[in-house]
Amino acid sequence: MKPDPGRFLEIAAQQLMGTIGPALPAGYAQSSVGLLAVMLLEVKTELERAAARRVEENRGLRGLFAESLPLVTDAALRDRLDAAARGEDESLLASALERGNAALRGLLIELHAHVETLDSPEARRVEDAIWAELAASTERRRLALGPF
Amino acid sequence: MASLEERLAAFVRSRLPGVEGVRVEGLERIFGGASRETFRFVLEYGEDGVPVSRRLILRRDPSGSLIDTERAVEFAAYRGFHGSAVPVPEALWLEEDERWLDHPFFVMEEIAGFEASPQAILAPPYDRHAAKTARQKWTILGEIARADASALGLTDVMQPVAPDACWRRELDYWEKRLDENEQCPQPVIRAAIRWLRRNPPPPAQRVGVVHGDYRTGNFLVDTEGRIRAILDWEMAHLGDPLEDLAWGINPVWRWARDGRAGGLAPREEAIRIWEEASGLTADPQALRWWEVFSSVKGQAIWVAGAREFSTGENHDLVLGISGWLMGNSQDRAALHDLGKLP
Repeated sequence: MKPDPGRFLEIAAQQLMGTIGPALPAGYAQSSVGLLAVMLLEVKTELERAAARRVEENRGLRGLFAESLPLVTDAALRDRLDAAARGEDESLLASALERGNAALRGLLIELHAHVETLDSPEARRVEDAIWAELAASTERRRLALGPF
Repeated sequence: MASLEERLAAFVRSRLPGVEGVRVEGLERIFGGASRETFRFVLEYGEDGVPVSRRLILRRDPSGSLIDTERAVEFAAYRGFHGSAVPVPEALWLEEDERWLDHPFFVMEEIAGFEASPQAILAPPYDRHAAKTARQKWTILGEIARADASALGLTDVMQPVAPDACWRRELDYWEKRLDENEQCPQPVIRAAIRWLRRNPPPPAQRVGVVHGDYRTGNFLVDTEGRIRAILDWEMAHLGDPLEDLAWGINPVWRWARDGRAGGLAPREEAIRIWEEASGLTADPQALRWWEVFSSVKGQAIWVAGAREFSTGENHDLVLGISGWLMGNSQDRAALHDLGKLP
């Protein structure tokens, strides 16, 4: 599809910032247009990586769940982790990947809370792996204009 | 239907029955302020034959916002601190009756001609005075911590809390807001909440006034670096003064991205100034608890804004972009304060 959707958003943002915004009186409307331009640029970033970051993360979470199974003492949680670990993304539409990602991250919260209650070197290893995944997940979602 | 200017003028006439020719001129919405719609305007009238012109601010509740806040508390905070060592605009009228402007609101003096935007304050000509602004910023926060809430009339509108209950009340409140508003799981913040409950802080050294959103962006500064007014008291409450210090030094408010707290001064310098001004000690363990808590509170605010933007009536772009930019930065800040991210 040409023009590329990302390029389209970039040009739209440039026009908002360079032409349309300055033509408005200073104040609420002009500032809103500036913010809208910023949002379009961040949408461009998200558009580009939407499927990739979710597929990568979903794959990583399933691997983490599989790795943690021998450690989990709660049978019901173990069954759900096992089922999730064996699952796969059935569609590459961003909305479908997002639903799958939300389910996996909800399960990650349960696994994390469970592992925190266990006292063994293996539990600490899995806990470290969970923290590493959480740090990586914020990097995947990072936006250029975020303040930190 | 009458314009907002005409309706506001009608309200003012009801509050100033002895004056004549009340007019509202130049009503203009101010960008930002996602918890209330903020407008500036000029109020003109005649009193005993003398023309009067006043620059004022209207703060009106929106249909939905980042946070549900108590306008009476905000109004009382402005009233209480006016004329004290904590500079604030004069609060004039609080109106809860929706018949005037569709939503509750209050009116206060405009402190005109000064800058609040962090991006502006961290750029010329303001940035030359960053150290001076920082000293005043953290000194004023110390004054807030020292303030006698009862003498300021704030215990009439703010809920009391015991020194050993401050942390739990705040954590319970913001966790509930998160439960109510999150649209997707928040594994970083849920882990932070569990850590906070496993590692409670010591009781507050004193229960004081907590501004609730004390950061660069919520004060007005002049070109010489002097702070002219502390704004946005909508989350003010009684609590542990360390809460404000921790919020102000949270990484998401660094803005300049160079590690300076609030974009103005090194973290340790900010803490030192605050300790000197407040007469309190920032115990490192206790402060760390409140720093991690700040990210829980912050994320609860961002997810509430994101929900409102997505499903509610308030489509202010600030709400939408906060969910993205601030939400991700807040997760990173939580990981940083928990020692899981450099």
